[in-house]
Amino acid sequence: MSWTSLVLPELVLAGTALAVLLLDLFLAPDRRRLTAYLGLAGTAAALAAAAWLWVALEGGTGPATIAAKAAPIAGMLRLDTFALVFKLLFLAIGLLVVLLSIDFVERRGLPVGEFYSLLLFAVLGMMLMAASRDLVMIYLGLETTSIASYALAGLLRRDLRSGEAALKYFLTGALASAVILFGMSLIYGATGSTDLAALMTSSTVRAGTAAWFGPVALAGLVLLIVGFGFKVAAVPFHFWAPDAYEGAPTPVTTFFSVGPKAASFAVLLRVFGPVLGPAGGWSTAMPGAGALPTLFAVLAVVTMTVGNLTALSQRNIKRMLAYSSIAHAGYALVGLAVAAADPRGLAAIIYYLLAYAAMNTGAFAVVIWLNNRGTGDDVADYVGLGRRAPLAAIALVVCFLSLIGIPPTAGFFGKFYLFLAAIGGGMTWLAVVMVVNSAISVGYYYSVVRNMYLRAEAATEADGAVPAGAATAGAAEPGGPDSPGEPVPGTPLVGAALGLAVLAVFVLGFLFEPLARLAGLAGIGM
Amino acid sequence: MSGFPYLTLMVFVPLLGTVLLLTIPRDRVRLVQRAAAFFSLVPLVLAVVMWAQWAKIPAGVHGMKFVESFEWIPSLGISYFMGTDGLSFPLVFLTALLSFVAVVAGWHMIKDRERAFFALLLLLETGMMGVFVSLDYVLFYVFWELVLVPMYFLIGIWGGPRREYAALKFFIYTLVGSVIMLIGILALYFMAGAGTFNMMTIAQVAGSLPLIAQKWIFFALFLGFAVKVPVFPFHTWLPDAHVEAPTPISVVLAAVLLKMGTYGFFRVSYPTLPEAANYFTVAVAALGLINIIYGALTAMAQKDLKKLVAYSSISHMGFVLLGLAAGTQLALAGAMYMNISHGLISGMLFLMVGAIYDRTHTREISKLSGIYVTVPVVATIMAFSFFANLGLPGLAGFISEFFVLAGTFPISVVWVAMAGLGMLVVAGFNLWMMQRVLMGEQRDEYRGLRDATPLEIFTYAPVVALIVILGVAPGVLTAFLNGPAQDIVLRLGGM
Repeated sequence: MSWTSLVLPELVLAGTALAVLLLDLFLAPDRRRLTAYLGLAGTAAALAAAAWLWVALEGGTGPATIAAKAAPIAGMLRLDTFALVFKLLFLAIGLLVVLLSIDFVERRGLPVGEFYSLLLFAVLGMMLMAASRDLVMIYLGLETTSIASYALAGLLRRDLRSGEAALKYFLTGALASAVILFGMSLIYGATGSTDLAALMTSSTVRAGTAAWFGPVALAGLVLLIVGFGFKVAAVPFHFWAPDAYEGAPTPVTTFFSVGPKAASFAVLLRVFGPVLGPAGGWSTAMPGAGALPTLFAVLAVVTMTVGNLTALSQRNIKRMLAYSSIAHAGYALVGLAVAAADPRGLAAIIYYLLAYAAMNTGAFAVVIWLNNRGTGDDVADYVGLGRRAPLAAIALVVCFLSLIGIPPTAGFFGKFYLFLAAIGGGMTWLAVVMVVNSAISVGYYYSVVRNMYLRAEAATEADGAVPAGAATAGAAEPGGPDSPGEPVPGTPLVGAALGLAVLAVFVLGFLFEPLARLAGLAGIGM
Repeated sequence: MSGFPYLTLMVFVPLLGTVLLLTIPRDRVRLVQRAAAFFSLVPLVLAVVMWAQWAKIPAGVHGMKFVESFEWIPSLGISYFMGTDGLSFPLVFLTALLSFVAVVAGWHMIKDRERAFFALLLLLETGMMGVFVSLDYVLFYVFWELVLVPMYFLIGIWGGPRREYAALKFFIYTLVGSVIMLIGILALYFMAGAGTFNMMTIAQVAGSLPLIAQKWIFFALFLGFAVKVPVFPFHTWLPDAHVEAPTPISVVLAAVLLKMGTYGFFRVSYPTLPEAANYFTVAVAALGLINIIYGALTAMAQKDLKKLVAYSSISHMGFVLLGLAAGTQLALAGAMYMNISHGLISGMLFLMVGAIYDRTHTREISKLSGIYVTVPVVATIMAFSFFANLGLPGLAGFISEFFVLAGTFPISVVWVAMAGLGMLVVAGFNLWMMQRVLMGEQRDEYRGLRDATPLEIFTYAPVVALIVILGVAPGVLTAFLNGPAQDIVLRLGGM
């Protein structure tokens, strides 16, 4: 295969992003929806291209396909199983987010062309991050995603909170990028290479010659952990996330919680998989590398605990889901903590990211669906939804059950796999901490469910025939992210995305065997 | 092995009912009620058919009958493995019967959001049935947790004034318990080293684990099961849940849900970790005796009929623990017998409390009096149920208590004496309650209340009949229980 066909999904996506920007210029304001459909079609085409690559590369076992998978693309990218899994995930997320955005963007008067092209560029950056085999390329992918994300957070231009979200996200994000870059430079200094594959070999070579290699490279790695800790909103680098999630347009929040976060985890897996994994390439050469699992374990515990405890006191559902998202990053970090002892840790993270993408997108889809119909974003606005919007309420319950980890949902199997890796890796205490956290998390998911079902009577009396939520607290600031604004009749697009996400919550659970095997392959193949 | 997938149908027909019920228009209440009854009748019919065939079918792998098995997640050794033996089949039958009874009882007791109620009740049946027939730990756990969700909504939406609190408390208690159990299961999986979640295979190899590992795993599993039973001091969710739950749900909760916990001891803890079980004998006996005596004394102090029955449940569940601790074949068989007899009797008690409440709109013992004069049929059935509850010879409850005590006697006379003390108290509060509620002057406001309807009598009849049959012909049930009880005795290495 030529290298252009190997990066076909990226080319399609980049082309679409540019075309969206151009098309937007030539359309009358009332026909801007066409731009959105172009973005949707482009993302779908990129997804189809990635699926085609998947069939071509994963289906075949001949020497040609194996060579194609192993071969670097322009010395910078790899198209291994790991990369393909993540590309498919990111494109699926992109597709769902576009579906979720169309009504919302129109209703809130967001700049249509900019919105979709930024979104697609962010997805493009994520795909590059997952496929990178070189530190420089990782950084380029990361910045492509980050810069697009900063702008996306601030797109509600008349809303102060959106501006605040963008500014906070930008300042902390830039700091994190600088830390990451510094870490990369230390690794380069110690090993003389930015190529991830070469690092594995040269590190062991250099270890014998220079005593300072170990500490410097280790410092670089720790800085990478800090920097990506910001990006995945791990505690104590999480403080930007609630504000950014609350202020950003809700479809963008959805995207932040599942997209760039998963991409950052992909990079952590790429870099630390070999360090921690069974090959243990670096750890022998680096005194002190043995402390990395402990570092990840501490990060995981603090992140999930702070995330869950803080979520308990939230009144705004977007903010609550932001802290929930922090907690879930903590769960995923458990996989890195145990990866050295049980290689299933890496596979468990990959599976967990797939599951989380489905269930969290589903939960946000309900928030958007309701918001489009005039329900505010406060937990109090959800009173009586079980009667008012039974399907949306059931969908939200399913997603929340999955987020808590109740079978037979994908979230259960994700946690089950992490438990399995943790106990198999001899870190049973970490599994116990996860258990306690899952129990805490019931508290805040519960408050929403309680409002939807158990507090129905009062709401139906109060609301009468008035469309729900319009009368309740959310209407305080017109135009604000909490404000329901004018209800729109809406298209079935959000409902379609919600249906897909809920379906995925079940299907990913039932497909645990093939997906876990795949995740295992991807984890080992790195 | 039978080719016909009895167990799969029993588990998933109610789930199919849940889905189909949601397609019926909300206001077609009668259709919803009948459909729900139909979908809960199917498992009952299947259970009767299985019973009829039971003796003819040779026991298959691991002594199981009606086995269904295929790989689900082979890379981790997880399979869809279902089967039933003498230990689980009576519980399967109990589940099928009481679920059907609860659905029919719900016909006239539930007047709000009927469709959702029956859909959730059927979902609950799927979960309970699945727990009793799953022989793979992961499958078992999936059903175990599946029970939580419908139960939460059934209490939370249709419950009494403090339903929010009761539903949340139930959810958190059982969730924490069961997730700790999951950790125990995973530890068992790794330490057994058999690369499978097959309960039977693990039971064969786990006995050789070092005692310290057995103890910890036993402890983790115990917590999960103990919350469901409930064992003191994890019992506080139960009175709250019972008082708030609507009658059909109280019935299912007491009759079937609590048995999931005791079933876990019989199926998992004792056969799989016999050394740890022997190690904890005194502790389990102590907890059992606390349950018996504390439950009885607390029941005595209750002003609310439902709470009284709830604490009486706690007391009776203590007999199951005592039988386990004694570990003789007779005591174990008695403990298993108690599972079934208590299921039937507590189901009846809650039905009767519900019948009284429907008519008088109160459950306060002090406000009730002269029920015999007012509604003689209801009062007679109620008296029957409470006599069964206090262990009247000739009824099912007596047999199980007698077996447990007789089986415990060779182990410890002190335990028997203390349990006997508890039984006296149980008899005391049952009689005292009946005297207050059934006898006495008829109250003016209760004059002219309607006596039992044909539908009510139809729902009570099979349960009442079984209570009598199991009281006079214990062989019907011990034919199932003796084998499993003997297996556990062998595992424990005892008499």
